[in-house]
Amino acid sequence: MEIIPQLIVNSIIAGAIYMMIALGFNLIFSTVKFFDLGFGALAAVGGYTTFYFSNRLGWNIFVAVALGVLVAGLIGFLINKFVYTRLSKNKASSMVMLVASLGVLTAVQAVIAMLFTSQFQVLSSVLSATKVYNIYTAAITEIQLIILASGLIIAAGLALLLKWTKFGRAVRAIGDDREVSEIVGIDTRKVIGRIFFIGSAIAGLAGVLFGLDTGIEPTMGLSLLLKGVIASIIGGVGNVWGGVAGAFILGFVENFGIWKISGEWKDAIAFGVLIVFLLFRPNGLFRK
Amino acid sequence: MEYLIHLAILVGIYAMLGISLNLVVGFTGLLSITQAAFYGIGGYATAILLTGLGMNFFLSVIAGIVITVILSLIIGFVLSRFRGDFFALGSFGFNIIIYSVLLNWQSLTRGPLGIPGIPRPSLFGYVFSENLSFLVLVIVFAALTYLLAHFVTRSSFGRVLKAIREDEEAAAVFGYNTLVYKLTIFVISAAIASVAGSLFASYITFIDPSTFVLNESIFILSIIILGGLSSLRGSVLGAIILILLPEILRFVGFPSDIAAQMRQFVYGLLLVILMMYRPQGLVGEYKL
Repeated sequence: MEIIPQLIVNSIIAGAIYMMIALGFNLIFSTVKFFDLGFGALAAVGGYTTFYFSNRLGWNIFVAVALGVLVAGLIGFLINKFVYTRLSKNKASSMVMLVASLGVLTAVQAVIAMLFTSQFQVLSSVLSATKVYNIYTAAITEIQLIILASGLIIAAGLALLLKWTKFGRAVRAIGDDREVSEIVGIDTRKVIGRIFFIGSAIAGLAGVLFGLDTGIEPTMGLSLLLKGVIASIIGGVGNVWGGVAGAFILGFVENFGIWKISGEWKDAIAFGVLIVFLLFRPNGLFRK
Repeated sequence: MEYLIHLAILVGIYAMLGISLNLVVGFTGLLSITQAAFYGIGGYATAILLTGLGMNFFLSVIAGIVITVILSLIIGFVLSRFRGDFFALGSFGFNIIIYSVLLNWQSLTRGPLGIPGIPRPSLFGYVFSENLSFLVLVIVFAALTYLLAHFVTRSSFGRVLKAIREDEEAAAVFGYNTLVYKLTIFVISAAIASVAGSLFASYITFIDPSTFVLNESIFILSIIILGGLSSLRGSVLGAIILILLPEILRFVGFPSDIAAQMRQFVYGLLLVILMMYRPQGLVGEYKL
């Protein structure tokens, strides 16, 4: 029973990471309406850019993190510009888009592995897991606290952006009906380009934070993405706030699931949850 | 010469996998990304039965088919409730679940260590130990697969599959039980993949779970998308090109780790380019 506080802490940390991925993924999905699997690779891009600047070049970690987030956002923006925008101009079906994004994911992961090897690497820094705080019988590291704080800031910031700004209204309008938004004069291309930048930057941040907590490898993006997608489906795809709830549900199910069985089953548990949801609540917990 | 035979054997095995996946993706329009799972089940069935029980290879092929049929019936039944993108995501999930079972059911599969020393097939005292004789065996199996697929797709059964692909509701209105059709073709496809897995295990004489990851499913998908959906010749063509193309990289003299990643990169890029400029592939008859 002593382990329960630790399990709760672990679940919340995992939930915060998944939440960031789910938020970015849902943000993109809500405007372009296809499953952007290439999104996962951007988490790895963020992690590795930070790794390059802080470990290889020895720059200040905060600068390196900022660069990681920026580069991830930029690459996401460019991928949209050169791949997805052209595809959607040809009226490609969402399955074509999905296969193309699968190609993007595979290619970007391979490039990262070529540049940095496919080995698991430690994204060590001054923020490493040295400082540990205790809450009851649970331990939480400094970086995990930063993960939590970043998750909350991102969620709150996104909420404000979507709710109160003109840009946010445009995003919501495109989500409702892209053609009508175009007719009423919204520059949908520009808005979607920015959405890709923001969403990808969030993925980059999640990748960096995940990397600081556990380490980085080129395939980290795929597993993070899949967790984000599962969280989104639990909460209802395209429903930004449903994704937040879904992420924490997934975090708890995963971490409590491995309480009794060994940790390697985490992914299988996550997908078990996905399939149960797809079967019984295909529109997620919160129907739109 | 040995090298050419080796490549020909791989082409044969991947042509079988391509044809099997094309039955589901190309002819029925269900974007399944889980073929490597059934490939793996066949491989492991043969590996375990041959090394553990000393069973005959051809009996192990049948045993593999039986196991795959049962599993694919269950998986296909679950997946049959989804369409389009969600079908793809669900199938993703099953690939990851089966991969984790292969990786973590250590008492049966030896986990990441893999199973070494799988004997070559033997029939009435004749052992297919030479690669040339094994090639003949692969060609026989591949030809049988081709004929079976040809027969299935040209029959009235195959026409119903195409009707489901074009408009499932219309097919249902005409009184076809689309669930039965979708399940049947899914199971046939899985069984063929399982046979390919048995051949692969016995040819390489060693298998480990890393062969049957999601990337392998993506690779098989690239084969049929390049060759052409809904075209059996296209699947064979795609397998030839995608097996031989990366071999060029070997001659250019890249280190093997880089060459492997470069292959992944080429597959990924190929998917993106095909989706943008030729979504029906080289000789395909159907676009996603």
